[in-house]
Amino acid sequence: MNKKAEGPKKEKVVGTPALFVTEWWTQFLWDMYCPGCQTPLVGRLIAEAIEELGIGDRAIMVMGNGCHAYLAGGLDFDVTSGGHGRAPDIATAMKRVMPDGIVFTVQGDGDCVAIGADALIGALSRGEKITIIMVNNTNYGTTGGQMAPTTIVGQVTTTSPQGRNPDVEGYPTHAAELVATFRGVSYSARGSLHTTANYRRTKKYITTAFQRQAEGVGLSFVEVITACPPNWHMTPIESLAWIEEKAIPDFPLGEFKNVTHIE
Amino acid sequence: MAKGEIVIDETICKGCGYCAEFCSRGCIEIPGDKFTAKGYLIPVFAHPEKCNACGVCAWMCPRFAIDVYKYVEATAK
Repeated sequence: MNKKAEGPKKEKVVGTPALFVTEWWTQFLWDMYCPGCQTPLVGRLIAEAIEELGIGDRAIMVMGNGCHAYLAGGLDFDVTSGGHGRAPDIATAMKRVMPDGIVFTVQGDGDCVAIGADALIGALSRGEKITIIMVNNTNYGTTGGQMAPTTIVGQVTTTSPQGRNPDVEGYPTHAAELVATFRGVSYSARGSLHTTANYRRTKKYITTAFQRQAEGVGLSFVEVITACPPNWHMTPIESLAWIEEKAIPDFPLGEFKNVTHIE
Repeated sequence: MAKGEIVIDETICKGCGYCAEFCSRGCIEIPGDKFTAKGYLIPVFAHPEKCNACGVCAWMCPRFAIDVYKYVEATAK
């Protein structure tokens, strides 16, 4: 065993994704994310999908507001920022000015279906040929874990200390199913990152979403459920188990719409 | 027999423990008494002989702190 360990030839299999700016990430950005936060993994999946499809030179990323927006410095694309929730509007303008570009937004759950619901519905009904990646951690993570539209019934947050009561606060919003009902949508899926198998599936969803936009079919939407251990008041490993037990029954995973042609 | 090895960047690790959780061969352990300069628990590549360089630890690492290397067989010639 020692013989081999002395100087075996080795090749790197998995490392930092190619489209990540390593210096920026290691010196500044890594400090912005809490231990166990899976939002950087969404950035990794986006970087790998765009690298595989070979569309990195014409990709434009539009950020919303929230923890996911720290990805803006770490990814080696053209990046701009919208107002809170208005990323689909900015992306619409960019796609219309530059039809060859691959324009996608990265938004949180509060950004996408709470404050930006009007912008989202507008982009959906117009059938814009953009991609929307929604990072769903079932609360407002940046501001300290307040209740969001995606908070699960019974979940304890800062603004629902007794658990979310459906009589008063209603029921969680299911964005992927909502998006799938619109006619201009070509692809809608929901993935998770709490197991290795789901990681692979989510990567396939994101790759397919960019593929649909490159083909020019219609709007593609992927929702990714990620862990938020500090605001859920759990350890990172417990939060993965919580996703499996509580979040997945409420937010079923899978593809809800997948068409290659819109009549 | 080891088919690869991993390198953990201890300066950017935040000690979430996903690598030890997802390694199906139990190569990575968190001792509980080793800390980074900022006070996070760090994982240790405890059983290098079991590693087959599948890369799951690096995929699941939210910090991109793990690089996985696979040994190239020199006996092919």
